[in-house]
Amino acid sequence: MNRREMIAAVGAALAGLAAPEALAQPKPKRGGKFVYTNLYPNNRMGDAKNGRHPYHLLDINTRSAFNGLAFVNDRLQVEPELATAWTPSADLKAWDIQLREGVVFHNGRDMTADDVIASFAFHQARTSFARQIAKVEKTGTHKVRMHLAKPNSEFPFILGEYQLMIMPAAPLETIGLDGIGTGPFRIVDLDPKRRLVMERNERYWRKGLPHVDRLEVASSPGRMESALNGFRGGQFDAVLGVDPGILPELDRIPGTVVSTALSGDQALMILPKHEGSVFADKRIRQALALAIDREKIVRIVYGTKTGWVGNDSHLTPSNPEFLPVTFKRDVAKAKRLLAEAGHPNGITLPTFYFTASWPEVPRVFQVLAQSVKEAGITLPIEQRPSDGYRDWRVEDKARTRKHRFAYGPAGVRNPGVSLYRMRPDNNESGYWSGAACEKYMKLYDEAVVEPDPVKRKFLYVQMQQILADEVPAIHPAGRRNMLIHKSNVHGLENHSQFWSIRFDEVWKA
Amino acid sequence: MARAFLRRLALSLGVVWLVTVLVFVSTEILPGDALQVSLTADEAAQMTEDDFARRRAELGLDRPAPARYAGWLLAAAKGDFGTTIIGKADVTEVIAYPLRNSVLLCLVTALVAIPAALAIGIAAAYWRGRAPDFAASSGAILGYSIPEFASGNFLILCFAIWVPVFPAVITAFTKDPPSVLLGAAFLPVLTVVIGSIAHLVRLVRAGFIEALNSDYVERARLAGASRLRIILRHALPASVIPALNSAALYVAGLLSGIIVVEKVFGYPGLGLVLINAVEKREVAVVQAVSLIAAVIVVAMNLLADAAVMALDPRARSR
Amino acid sequence: MRIDPFALRKPAALLGLALVAIHLVLALFSPWIAPFDPTELVGGRVDPPGGEFLLGTDALGRDYLSRLLHGGRMALFVTFTGVVAAVTAGSLAGIAAAWFGGTLDDVLMRLCDVKLALPGILFVSLFITGFGESFGVLVTLIGLVYFPGVIRIVRAQALTQVNLGYVKAAQLRGESAFSIIAREILPNTLDVVYVEFAIRMSHAVLLLSTMSYLGLGLSPPTPDWGLMVSEGVGQLAFAPWLVLFPAVFISTLVIGLNFGAEALAGALGLDASRGHVGGT
Repeated sequence: MNRREMIAAVGAALAGLAAPEALAQPKPKRGGKFVYTNLYPNNRMGDAKNGRHPYHLLDINTRSAFNGLAFVNDRLQVEPELATAWTPSADLKAWDIQLREGVVFHNGRDMTADDVIASFAFHQARTSFARQIAKVEKTGTHKVRMHLAKPNSEFPFILGEYQLMIMPAAPLETIGLDGIGTGPFRIVDLDPKRRLVMERNERYWRKGLPHVDRLEVASSPGRMESALNGFRGGQFDAVLGVDPGILPELDRIPGTVVSTALSGDQALMILPKHEGSVFADKRIRQALALAIDREKIVRIVYGTKTGWVGNDSHLTPSNPEFLPVTFKRDVAKAKRLLAEAGHPNGITLPTFYFTASWPEVPRVFQVLAQSVKEAGITLPIEQRPSDGYRDWRVEDKARTRKHRFAYGPAGVRNPGVSLYRMRPDNNESGYWSGAACEKYMKLYDEAVVEPDPVKRKFLYVQMQQILADEVPAIHPAGRRNMLIHKSNVHGLENHSQFWSIRFDEVWKA
Repeated sequence: MARAFLRRLALSLGVVWLVTVLVFVSTEILPGDALQVSLTADEAAQMTEDDFARRRAELGLDRPAPARYAGWLLAAAKGDFGTTIIGKADVTEVIAYPLRNSVLLCLVTALVAIPAALAIGIAAAYWRGRAPDFAASSGAILGYSIPEFASGNFLILCFAIWVPVFPAVITAFTKDPPSVLLGAAFLPVLTVVIGSIAHLVRLVRAGFIEALNSDYVERARLAGASRLRIILRHALPASVIPALNSAALYVAGLLSGIIVVEKVFGYPGLGLVLINAVEKREVAVVQAVSLIAAVIVVAMNLLADAAVMALDPRARSR
Repeated sequence: MRIDPFALRKPAALLGLALVAIHLVLALFSPWIAPFDPTELVGGRVDPPGGEFLLGTDALGRDYLSRLLHGGRMALFVTFTGVVAAVTAGSLAGIAAAWFGGTLDDVLMRLCDVKLALPGILFVSLFITGFGESFGVLVTLIGLVYFPGVIRIVRAQALTQVNLGYVKAAQLRGESAFSIIAREILPNTLDVVYVEFAIRMSHAVLLLSTMSYLGLGLSPPTPDWGLMVSEGVGQLAFAPWLVLFPAVFISTLVIGLNFGAEALAGALGLDASRGHVGGT
């Protein structure tokens, strides 16, 4: 392509951009009913009595009924929600939070600092995400100061967690049970494990929103076929959490729009490092990491569009700090490492346990187990029913801190939370220890007190390099969350944190 | 006869009690508890062993197992099934509607399957060894041999996607009135009937053949009774009695047998509540469901026994 | 055992025996018959039937025919082992109950009652959730599920023998209980046991595939028909054969076992229609 052609091409592209139908956003239409089904499992799904509570809402998209102080967008940037500004003290231990004025709960009450204090009193007692908050102090009718136990440079991300919703002040025992929030929709009726019906909150603080009159949710955790049947049969306008395995077929359903997020959950292989475990030997961990054909997993399981290659850390491509994999698959080197570790004729690893928390998890590990055969690694795998998370993974009855060789799901979060998960006393790291681990934790300690995001990123990159070299755990591949909707649906944005999808701006033509 | 029946009743109560013991012991042997399985990996990753111990004490999970069983049994005897561990929801509330829905689906299925089985079975017996018999027998076996998870999904494909006359998924509320649920339950009922009718058809056929060969039918025939009269007056009642016991067991078996349709069609029944409760280690829910299911099975058996005693002169004299 | 060869020559009997025989051959010799390794990723994603891959490929590009051929292996092995265990243990217990009567009989009968009163799916889900999906667990589970039913049937048959003249006569002759059971009762109960076995097998095949479908059975990457249906059902509308083929394999095996059981019962002069097709 010569210079002139290039200018012409750019011109054409610009012309395309300027075309009226591309530029002019269609004007949102008000009214109507939006029905979606959600395939994501909710481990804390409510029951008859407290299904309205944000901790137990049918679909953990709690933001349809509630709001948090902050919101984390798909690029993992913190946006204001019920808080309009936050300022830390110099030591990053106290955060002054300015609340939005003129926000009204579904029951007509104004939202004030008292509601925030009462809500966080509950959160502090009930969820580990809020445990770092030592005290919440009222500094004005619409102002609070949160005192942290330890400095946290990334505290605003915590304010965006899906459980930390703001509820009208009430005693600890009853707060939140009525399902009243400040969100775009109010709960009309709820069947704790099946269905949620909501209607527009006329006094929503985001003026002019939401667009639709009614929002209906059907829960079909793990039931891809019925979700898709309902979508094709016209019962649902959208399906959230679509199995990436059916992407090629979706083109064959007329009027279907596919929307993928930047990333999503990834599969974590926990490598137990207690005495006597094969993974106590770093060379075997490295050999396994080098033998896995990550590209092939992504190609076969995710079809390139809906997956990404993991870098053996909890970070994902949504994280600006994410360091794409620096090493290549190297079967010869893997074999060499195995030989050095005393397995010149290959090795049979212990059975690896996993559960189908996403429909493609069994496929990921089947392809993975096939791909490591080339390096002489035999990896027996076994699926377990999707119950809870720990018991087929942890053997700590006698507090021996043994850990099985098993899968764990890892969600998308800010590096302050995600990289902390490889700390030595967490079973996800397989109780990692040693000099490299100490260095890793030292970098982490520096990051939490570092106010400058650029300097923090530098620290996080170093931490990821340590993980890539040490391989305390393996993150072979991850998904890009996928949702589908009918072509007449607009304003539905996907999100890497599937629990953070909002429905404020959804409308139907 | 009353005494024999009372003895059966006492034995049945003993069986129900044994079921509760067995179920409780099994849930105890299961590794993990309600707290652990209620947490997400993200959240549990932030908790220490002390946090787990504290939350466990709050939920009452630290009490010794025999104390928990005794407490449950005493309350259950008074009709109080307790609350769920994590949500503290009333177990009766949690299972009431799913139970109603399952019973509803079972009854409708039985109402379709039993008359259909009678008609098919009698036809097969009457034209024994000829085309109708062959068609009925092989049709029944074919229906039985196709796993319900396959036939249900193919029915959806045919009647909800290709020819969209029925909903593909049942999205009704668990507490919706029976009319709403049944309106959407055509395909689930059809699936269960296809899968389960074989057993009944064969029983009816065998009973009817036996009845046709019996002395008194022979006598009626010699006395010049019409064919229809022989079938309706003589052979039918005689063939129904042996099938009665099985029909009762059939209905009781349906209750836990409809789990596949619940999953395939999203029908809000008890089976999924039960599996979910096992996965979530909600012992009180597991206990309540198994107790109710056991009572229903035992009651259906007693009912069948009583009916056979009342209808069959031979059993009465025994 | 008196076999009536005429009963085996009925078309249904022939069909049943042929189907079972075909399935046995396929299961035993699948490693040599199957064109590909069932876990090897050899083809494209969901290739349609025809061409290089006779019955197409699955979502990971594995040859479907090879997976189907191997799919019966594990299922048959698990159900066969489990049902043999159930029928053997159940027969012994049933004969013991009939012979000794009294407390042993009562205990065994209550055990059967408890099993019958326990919702089947609860039993399965408790067991699998607690102990996982390994071969041993599944065999034990199948064994436990069918054990009580067999006790009942065998006990009833043995009871008719116990009261017969020749058994009484042997007792009067002073023969030991063991020799009476082994020489008189067992041979006359075996007919029932064989038929029970065939019927339970057909039920167990369906049960195991249903468990796999519900995620409570065999674990990937084991090729298994029930698992293949659950993996393929998401594509039902686009690639119906992913569900159809495994369903056909399951159905033909179940039909074969049922007709086979019926033929066996007919040949042995038993009334199979009084049996348990479709029941538990």
